Amino acid sequence: MKISRRAFVNLSIAASVSAHASRLLGQGVSTHTAKAQPKLAPSGRPFNAHFTDVAKQAGLTAPVIYGKPEYNDYILEATGCGCAFIDYDNDGWMDLFVLSGTRIEGNPEGATNRLYKNNRDGTFTDVTEKSGLHDTGWACGVCVGDYNNDGFEDLFITYYGQNKLYKNNGDGTFSDITKAAGLLGDDTRWGAGCTWVDYNRDGHLDLFVSNYLQFDMNRIPKPGANVNCTWKGIPVECGPRGLPRGVHSLYRNNGDGTFTDISAAAGIASQRGSYGMTVVSADFDEDGWPDIYVACDSTPSLLFMNNHDGTFREEGVVRGVALSEDGQEQAGMGIGVGDYNLDGHIDLFKTHFSEDTNGLYRNDGKANFEDVTRTARIGVETRYICWGTGIVDLDNDGLPDIFFVSGSVYPHLEKTLTQYPNKNPRTIFRNLGNGTFEELISEAGPAISERHSSRGCAFGDFDNDGDLDVLIVNINEPPSLLRNDMKGANHWLKLKLVGTKSNRSAIGARVVVRYGKKLQAQEVLSQSSFYSTNDTRLHFGLGAEKIADISIRWPNGAHEELKAVAADQLIVVKEGSGIVTGQGWSKAAKPGASGR
Amino acid sequence: MMSMSFARHLIFGIALALSIAPASVSFSQPSQGSQSSQATKSPPTSESAHAPQSSIEPITSALTTNQFETAADLTRAALKDFPNDPQLWSLQGIAFASQGKATEALAAFQRALAISPNNISALQGAAQLEFQSASPNARTLLNRLLKLRPNDPISHAMLGVVNYREGNCGAAVPHFAKAGSILDSQPAALHAYALCLVRLKRLDDAVNVFQRTVTLRADDPRERRLLAAVQLMGRRPKDAIVTLEPLLQGTSADAGTWQLAASAYEDTGDTPAAVNALRQAILLDPKNTSLYLDFAHLSYQHQSFPVGISVVSDGIAQQPSSAQLYIARGILLVQLGDYDKAEADFDKAHQLDPNQSLSAAAQGMAAVQANDLDRALTTVETKLARKPNDAYLLYLKADILSQKGANPGTSEFQSALRSARKAVASAPNLAEARSVLARLYLDSGQTREAIEQCRKAIELNPKDQTALYRLIQALQKTGEKKEIPDLLNRLAKAREQAAQEERERSRYKLVEGDDPQSTSPNHP
Repeated sequence: MKISRRAFVNLSIAASVSAHASRLLGQGVSTHTAKAQPKLAPSGRPFNAHFTDVAKQAGLTAPVIYGKPEYNDYILEATGCGCAFIDYDNDGWMDLFVLSGTRIEGNPEGATNRLYKNNRDGTFTDVTEKSGLHDTGWACGVCVGDYNNDGFEDLFITYYGQNKLYKNNGDGTFSDITKAAGLLGDDTRWGAGCTWVDYNRDGHLDLFVSNYLQFDMNRIPKPGANVNCTWKGIPVECGPRGLPRGVHSLYRNNGDGTFTDISAAAGIASQRGSYGMTVVSADFDEDGWPDIYVACDSTPSLLFMNNHDGTFREEGVVRGVALSEDGQEQAGMGIGVGDYNLDGHIDLFKTHFSEDTNGLYRNDGKANFEDVTRTARIGVETRYICWGTGIVDLDNDGLPDIFFVSGSVYPHLEKTLTQYPNKNPRTIFRNLGNGTFEELISEAGPAISERHSSRGCAFGDFDNDGDLDVLIVNINEPPSLLRNDMKGANHWLKLKLVGTKSNRSAIGARVVVRYGKKLQAQEVLSQSSFYSTNDTRLHFGLGAEKIADISIRWPNGAHEELKAVAADQLIVVKEGSGIVTGQGWSKAAKPGASGR
Repeated sequence: MMSMSFARHLIFGIALALSIAPASVSFSQPSQGSQSSQATKSPPTSESAHAPQSSIEPITSALTTNQFETAADLTRAALKDFPNDPQLWSLQGIAFASQGKATEALAAFQRALAISPNNISALQGAAQLEFQSASPNARTLLNRLLKLRPNDPISHAMLGVVNYREGNCGAAVPHFAKAGSILDSQPAALHAYALCLVRLKRLDDAVNVFQRTVTLRADDPRERRLLAAVQLMGRRPKDAIVTLEPLLQGTSADAGTWQLAASAYEDTGDTPAAVNALRQAILLDPKNTSLYLDFAHLSYQHQSFPVGISVVSDGIAQQPSSAQLYIARGILLVQLGDYDKAEADFDKAHQLDPNQSLSAAAQGMAAVQANDLDRALTTVETKLARKPNDAYLLYLKADILSQKGANPGTSEFQSALRSARKAVASAPNLAEARSVLARLYLDSGQTREAIEQCRKAIELNPKDQTALYRLIQALQKTGEKKEIPDLLNRLAKAREQAAQEERERSRYKLVEGDDPQSTSPNHP
């Protein structure tokens, strides 16, 4: 009897080139895999960004404790946490906030979230205790926003356990006002990503929180116990597949310091089919109202489109950002947000598991996304489990690049399968300007090729020299602080937006900068990357251009235009007042004054 | 589903039997005696003169007592006086037909019909003879009969077979349905009915018909196997097991029965029973290649590649000239990352059977698995040079180029598009080719064409998640959103079902046991 074609296809299903056919049986993570594209010859173009890890000399020496270094019994130990750039004291210099976890066996000494104050000379001082932010637990995500519009950025931190809202008192300290704000939960939940978002455009920041899964340590099987607790035949911590999914929440800011849970009424709570991770809010369809995108692990990612009436409709699948290009679930973790192709629309980059590509999704301006991973040549890299990420112009050439960090969730695997190391390099995909990218690792400085098991990362200009630096969470190691030392003469422009009728943080403000023949859109975001918050001063590389025109659409709908703004400066724009000077932010030192 | 191809072969083997043995189907007329007395339905023509009853009765009496020669002689004599009596001609036709003189009988019936076109007896007689000789005239006669007697089960039965022989199952099935219990006396016709229902994908109805054959021929194991095969095709594996159980518990189960049972057990999630059934099959028929292929599939599904390799190796020892077994083993070796050995097996398969292209396709896929898309493309293109119209190789080439990231407008993209189109044209049922073509159309903005390909892929497999998803994307682009909510539901259900099936498959892993029997070459 001849072997039929159909039988052959069935038999060789994992060897099929079809991306959807290669399904790895017997594991707890998304089964979508993809083969790496061949790399093209290097462009040979110099890359003017150069990164050095200055964490140690900067004073960031305390490790981020998250589970055991050598082995995880539970998925809780594996997913890690984020970090943030925050100017908590409004002195114009970015401070750092790094979350931390703990250990199942008990809280090790030094396991706490940490606030580092920028000394303006390349170093930082740990002011955690003084600030009142000392806390130990399984912290996950952080989102920064001025929820009470008092001019000081507050912090919301998600946990496995109880999320926390810290009000910035304006004097260098924070207060835990979770209970007073009505955000104390009745039960133990796994808060994952979060975002401040003024969903109803009333000028107050509301809060969206994604939940990962329902985790009960007493009921979770042990590694190797079933098909969701093995990977490549090796026993690993179980999940997320096989574990109950989390329920997401939306809290309306009542304007009086309290919040109301409107998850059900808003159409959020009914979405129970996904393991939620990083959350991003942005106006993807450019109708003036913020939408919410949630990267989800091993399940369809979610795109909540704003109905303008206090409710949302979920349309991730139909808009092309929920699944892979062939309709399969992926392990979505981190989200990069930016306008990679300079068409004025906000695109998305989502990080995924190893043996799969990360995903680049091009927005048509109406929130219909096309997966352009392969045509953009992002698909050359499938080796790593990828986490924090950004669509950011690292070399100020006016073309946003892509940066991501990676690290294994199975630290013990490398002992048996050496092709799956626990620690991996960072990766840059530099934008070639023609819709494609090329991968750079060693070409961008020693800090890129160094290997760590990383999770969250945040982008910001900590030394105020006009280029983007990167803060990275490394599991069971001190964080990395990648200082960018740019070469060349590319110009830049930074914008700090201050809302008046809109929320003070200007989260949700949309900015389009025109420089030469190019234009680029960005929005002031709350969370992005993996569970992290970037420097909210929008950074634009201008390449050779020395002036730029700026269009601002404020969250409340007002428009503002600024013409012929000179490059190489930070401008502060106050809603309704244009560029303002004499404010704390605008007094930040000019390039070169950082003391380096 | 590992024996699905076997089930299909079993079913469609009937087609071959029926197509070459029309005489295997014959429907007996009602009693000639009683019929002849009511034979004439139409009034006599002005030129006819009827023989008196005194002439008719001896003829009918001779017929009913099987004195066909006498009956023929009597009709000859009567026809001298009454040459235009259609009843006499009909009776003569019956006499000749009963003697096996088909030509003479047909001539007699045709004489009757020339005089009285609606003479039931003559129509029935002529239709029967034309039917038995598979003449195209049978259809016309049967249709005329049905106009006069719309509910005649025999006419319906014969028309059912006529349509079946012409490959028109859509027309055959209604006639078979109206034939009713008449078919119970004709197993071949009943099989034709069931086969047509299978072809029309009315599997539940086909099961009902095969259940009739099992009831009618309870001692015939072939009937049970046919029923079980259709039950498997209709995704009713538990029913298939119940059907096969009497055979499995007895001593009459052959390797084919065990093979079917293995597929049924696996589909119910009872992998240990499936393995045992395949083991029994191999013991009974150790040179049967398909059994080893089924085991390879089973071990693959359960990610038990070493066991699969071991068993297929046993098969190769039994059938060293089987290219299929080398291909199967090579594919399992690829899963273990043993690309060199896999390559050797694919080469051997090609040596054994240069006309098949599966080994080339497997080599291409192995290269992909090893993360070498460039080498995969080279391999496939080399084989395509020898077999430029091979659908599977063309599909692979298109998919590899697409995976490499060929951009619309480039020569690589155009090459991918050409290859995918050619693959679909050569093998319209190759769903994977349609899937790649749909993707290429989407990439190049040919949304309408993408929609068409997605729809066709979904026709081939309604649970194809990729096709469903791409159809949703394409309809979203064209603004035709009415269908989208339903498609979203279908996609979600397909995903859930696929996850459930994976969980079932993953319950068992095959390992080589300590049982001395289990380690011997013929004992998987």
